[in-house]
Amino acid sequence: MFLERLGKELLYYDGGMGTLLQSRGLKPGELPETWNLRHPEAVTDIHRQYYEAGSDIVLTNTFGANALKFHDSEYQLKEVVEAAVQNVREAASLGVQDGREVYAALDVGPTGKLLKPLGDLGFEEAYEAFREVMQYGEEAGADLIHIETMSDTYEVKAAVLAAKENTSLPVTVTMIFDERGKLLTGGDVPSVVAMLEGLRVDALGINCGLGPVQMLPVLKQIMEYASIPVIVKPNAGLPKQRDGEVYYDVDPEEFAETMEKILDMGVSAIGGCCGTTPAHIRAMADMAARRQLRPRNPKEHTIVSSYGQAVILGRKPVIIGERINPTGKKRFRQALKEHDLDYILKEGVTQQDLGAHILDVNVGLPDIDEVRMMQDVVTELQSVTSLPLQIDTVDIRAMEAAMRIYNGKPMINSVNGKKESMDAVFPLAAHYGGTVVALTLDEEGIPTTAEGRIRIAGNIIEEAKKYGIQKKDIVVDVLTMTVSSEPLGARVTLDALKGVRERYGVCTVLGVSNISFGLPCRPVINGNFYTMAMLNGLSAGIINPSSEDMMRSYYSFCALMNYDVNCEEYVRRYGNQAGTSGVPAGARAPLEGTPLTLKEAIEKGLKEEAHHAAAELSKTREPLDIINTYLVPALDNVGKGFEKGSIFLPQLLMSADAARIAFSVLKDVLAKKGGRAARKEKIILATVKGDIHDIGKNIVKVLLENYGFDVIDLGKDVPPETIVDCAKREDVKLIGLSALMTTTVVSMEETIRQLRKEKPDCKVMVGGAVLNQEYADMIGADFYGKDAMQSVYYAQKIFSLK
Amino acid sequence: MDGRTLEAVRYLGYGNHAIDDRTLDLVSSSFKELEQAAGRRIVYRIFDVSFEDADRMKIGTMNIVSQKLGINLKGCERAALLGATLGAGVDRLLRRYSLTDMARAVVLQACAAALLEEYLDGWQEEFRKIWKEGGSYLRPRFSPGYGDFSIGHQEEILRMLDAPKKIGLSVTDGNMLTPSKSVTAVIGLSRSLAPCHQKGCAECGKADCVYRRRTFA
Repeated sequence: MFLERLGKELLYYDGGMGTLLQSRGLKPGELPETWNLRHPEAVTDIHRQYYEAGSDIVLTNTFGANALKFHDSEYQLKEVVEAAVQNVREAASLGVQDGREVYAALDVGPTGKLLKPLGDLGFEEAYEAFREVMQYGEEAGADLIHIETMSDTYEVKAAVLAAKENTSLPVTVTMIFDERGKLLTGGDVPSVVAMLEGLRVDALGINCGLGPVQMLPVLKQIMEYASIPVIVKPNAGLPKQRDGEVYYDVDPEEFAETMEKILDMGVSAIGGCCGTTPAHIRAMADMAARRQLRPRNPKEHTIVSSYGQAVILGRKPVIIGERINPTGKKRFRQALKEHDLDYILKEGVTQQDLGAHILDVNVGLPDIDEVRMMQDVVTELQSVTSLPLQIDTVDIRAMEAAMRIYNGKPMINSVNGKKESMDAVFPLAAHYGGTVVALTLDEEGIPTTAEGRIRIAGNIIEEAKKYGIQKKDIVVDVLTMTVSSEPLGARVTLDALKGVRERYGVCTVLGVSNISFGLPCRPVINGNFYTMAMLNGLSAGIINPSSEDMMRSYYSFCALMNYDVNCEEYVRRYGNQAGTSGVPAGARAPLEGTPLTLKEAIEKGLKEEAHHAAAELSKTREPLDIINTYLVPALDNVGKGFEKGSIFLPQLLMSADAARIAFSVLKDVLAKKGGRAARKEKIILATVKGDIHDIGKNIVKVLLENYGFDVIDLGKDVPPETIVDCAKREDVKLIGLSALMTTTVVSMEETIRQLRKEKPDCKVMVGGAVLNQEYADMIGADFYGKDAMQSVYYAQKIFSLK
Repeated sequence: MDGRTLEAVRYLGYGNHAIDDRTLDLVSSSFKELEQAAGRRIVYRIFDVSFEDADRMKIGTMNIVSQKLGINLKGCERAALLGATLGAGVDRLLRRYSLTDMARAVVLQACAAALLEEYLDGWQEEFRKIWKEGGSYLRPRFSPGYGDFSIGHQEEILRMLDAPKKIGLSVTDGNMLTPSKSVTAVIGLSRSLAPCHQKGCAECGKADCVYRRRTFA
């Protein structure tokens, strides 16, 4: 059996297929998979040569055989896959002379599409495409699934889940790294290894992209992080061009020489990719024959990852930003209720800028659909930040939904010592991968002694083992108790922290600020307790990175304990501050010279000055008066300048931003006085289906918001039905649609058609690079906005006429 | 101002107008940020070109009907197909600034477009030298979507170049390139130096466009 041999003895994969088919007449752009049926003898002959050369595992000719890539009028996907497996079987019976056990691996390559949110392919669509071909492959008799040449962690996750959930075959995965050890989509080695091991593939590795020599440094990194068997399948060198044709020129002997070095590093299976031939495989097999594998040690790193980076716990302390959480935050609760993702995403970006390494995501509110909200927030956050996320929820369905669509290996908050909790959470962690936060409480509650909490941590670690979850993937939270009600609370927590570190060697996490509930001047206590916790072995504090007291503790601790080499970070942050004054970092100096008027500040697009001027004015005048006398005229002036061509788009937007800040100052004043801003008119904005360029729509949004409209932003690639539903549900009178290209104006037309039928009382304005008045009339729009200001004027006209 | 700054300012719609200092600062800091965020990857292959008619041609296995491309490739026996991208990092940066600072997002987008053109121009100059030694001359880059050269060809071009695998460049169902800061193009190769081929704007009939280049080198 394959799995009994993998990792215990050296196994050989095969070499290149595409290049050999080309030499037999496959044309560029022709689908190589059709050759399984059109020229089975040619395909089988290549497979046979690999078996003869010494390959144990030969890949089916199905690299591009998925519904998204394989479009052929003559052949069905199913028959292609069946024939491909049959060809390998046939080749084995012809090529294996020594009676050894060999395998047919179903070869699965990428879909050739970029996944959402950057591309247009949905995660579940990708999953479906992989599922289909994998099921055909298993039915046809493949022995294992080999997913290869992947350059996107998200796509590979979809593929692995499809294999695991729909077949019982072993799964091996190899990805393309560049010479710096990065995927095309930005992922690094530890993030890839952490995710794939979390998904429990049977082996992982590297193929294509590089020759064996260039792979050495990347491989060194892989060996540093991977515990499972590693596969290496290089190209025959770097691609070269002669007369515009690509070729590879590392010959079999040279190839085998480097592969010997690669075996010395502890690799379990080797083969070749582009440009390699049966002669390359034979040269390796002759060189290494059936040599023993070098023994390897399991790695103990605790890693959480995103698509782009890994965070390793247990070294330098890590900051988990706690701000994405509705507890005690009125504005955040409102954002959740209104599905205001922008507000939530900004909280994420801000925390990253302030120094967070991981973001906690808690979006639980009693009266919202948490499953959907969690999915939306996780997906969108991953399009604006590469920080790994901590999925924080008590709703097990929301937890699973988020773990499934998360791109990387998430942190999971949390499991506890109760049987019920472990029964629910551990199967998910075993299936999707993840580093699990373990709270030291059980059916009996929270032990009042350190020993009691240490014991529960031990129980959780033991239970996790039953699911194959290793200690390194458990991060213990010994729980922070409020010191004002529990006099020994802090001491017990610190003792327990130290205890679990010493006894089990696990990483730890704490929600730090609970300590000070009920006390005055909480930041003082919090900051000091945070330092004490780090000194007692806290790996990751869940804190508010905008709290200067916490960040001071953090940067001081790192500087003092030599985690911050040469105190570089410390100096960068505090180098410009004089002494120990209470001025927070980044506080701005008082404005010099004559302060600008609010009107000037907005016209020049100066945010801080606008803030200052609005605050000053509000001391003597009423907010609504300020808005009408200064703000609106300033905005109008800028808008007119834009129309005349004396002010340009970046300036218009800078002014808009300054005005927005002045508005928010005045809104706060108004709220304090108990007044309310006027009810806002709703406008829907969307980039139509099929269109993924949304910068134009976003410009219009900023300006409309500035002029006091309530913009419902449905995003990009929005189906007509979604727009119609929203218009009806929210009873919206004006809808703005954007499209970039002629191909997507069709969706715009369809959206308008449906709106006319379902919501006849609404107006539709359109804009976008490809549109003009004539075109807009043709598709039945009410208004064509040639630039962003025109849509503002139109909106004003529509709503003032009512 | 250097060439790419001029291009970025043109993309921002300034036309003949002077750019203000604050926007200019935004432009230069955006280029700096792009140095980190932008990858530069390119893939190309050479294919035979044959004509059935002045506006019907075949590049490799790809059949094209386009009068404009026909004029561009007239007299070429071969052509390079190419795909190039700045990668997904730029898209992420754009999304991020669309959230927090729209003025910067707009400027960054213009700078990324200018950077991509500059990268292609630099690459093409090297490419030109190599082919000149072999006695071939290059025609100007011509992309799907120019004139009557349909963007429906994107998918096929990427397939012929194996671009998704080689440089992570793919296309949506609506024929949009992803990542968004990407280009595909045809460059004709001919044995004779064709007279007076102009670049970009001169090809286009929309003479009142605010983005039109004012002068030609």
